[in-house]
Amino acid sequence: MADPMHQFQINKVVDLPTVNLPGLGVVDLSITNSVVSMGMAAGLICVFFALAARQAVVPGRLQSVGEMLYSLVDDLAGSIIGHEGKVFFPFVFTLFSFILAMNFLGMFLVFTATSQLAVTATLALLTILTVVVVGFSRNGIGMYKLFVPSGVPWPLLFLMVPIEIISFLVRPVTLALRLFGNMIGGHVVLKIFAGFIISLGLLASGGGIASLGYLGSLVSLGSVVALTALEFIVAFLQAFVFAALTCVYLNDVVNLDSH
Amino acid sequence: MANETTQTHESTGADGHASGGGLPQFQFVWWPGQVVWLLLIFVVLYVLLSKLFLPRVGGTIQTRADKIAADVAQARDLKTQAEAESATALAELAKARTHAQRTASEAKAKANAEAATRQAAEEAVLAEKLAVAEDRIRVSRDAALGNVRTIASDIAAAITDKLTGVAATADEVETALTAAKA
Repeated sequence: MADPMHQFQINKVVDLPTVNLPGLGVVDLSITNSVVSMGMAAGLICVFFALAARQAVVPGRLQSVGEMLYSLVDDLAGSIIGHEGKVFFPFVFTLFSFILAMNFLGMFLVFTATSQLAVTATLALLTILTVVVVGFSRNGIGMYKLFVPSGVPWPLLFLMVPIEIISFLVRPVTLALRLFGNMIGGHVVLKIFAGFIISLGLLASGGGIASLGYLGSLVSLGSVVALTALEFIVAFLQAFVFAALTCVYLNDVVNLDSH
Repeated sequence: MANETTQTHESTGADGHASGGGLPQFQFVWWPGQVVWLLLIFVVLYVLLSKLFLPRVGGTIQTRADKIAADVAQARDLKTQAEAESATALAELAKARTHAQRTASEAKAKANAEAATRQAAEEAVLAEKLAVAEDRIRVSRDAALGNVRTIASDIAAAITDKLTGVAATADEVETALTAAKA
């Protein structure tokens, strides 16, 4: 059976010289299959909106989809963050569309950028850093309220404050691992079941009692079809969850007083 | 070139490690490149979306919402206007009907009055003519009756002349006639 982890292996596509970035040290900026996948996702979004962002009053199909995605994220940001959601809408939409495009490209191509922990961790850290920067620029030192729930008897604060701090620190980890885990899990299971189709079929070709393997092969094929459908849902859902959680975390620091 | 060879060796080693059960995601040699490229692409995408595409989509949605609201408001205005005009038209129709009825009855009354006047005038003319005619008849009759005496006196004179051979004088005839008449 083919190695189900091989699909996550990163390879160089175009060799580029290493660059010495300040603070990061020497970075190999070669184009890898992961970078190609990210670039394609971004390109896909641009092409999509170049075609979909028409200004017809009566929209066509593509324009309807574009406006549906826009409204989805707009409503999300508006309902969670409130009227200030407009400010963060482009950021949330970029996250959502980028993750969605990478997830979907993974369903059609051999490489899924969002199944790389480096990618999901960077996106999660970017989100949390944005939250922290927005929080400090809006509330200044008042940010501490984030860790001190209001309306709690003071002795309980000795318990609550460490819990709140830990839960805040865990946020980027859960953001990164949720997306990473969902993507890698789905693709590994798909690969394993797809491998079963071939290996059980080969086994069954031996004849005799092993012919039952054809049945197993068929069941595996059905599973792959069903799992593919499920993975499409997961691909959308995880992008949506990432965007929704970004909104929730931004809301915590934007509307800190009502926290 | 030497650098590249080492890297190839490294990745080959990592490959071997991966097939041993480790995840390719934890080959940290690939992390910095992915992180830097991801940030670059993300920033470019963010700028493109926030400056170019999203305002266009949002603007279109806003324009549509505005247009629909304006159209609905306009339709409501037109409906109100049409209702008002319909009420005005009904009122005018009623007014016109009353006016027409009044005009008709007035015309009828006027015509009746005129007819009566004309009839009265005609009757007056006829009555006058009748009176004149009656007068003439009376005059003619009186004249005729006057002539009867002359004729009688002439006849009486003539008869007297024939019978007696003496012509009676006018006075004698007159006296005789008056006596006869009485």
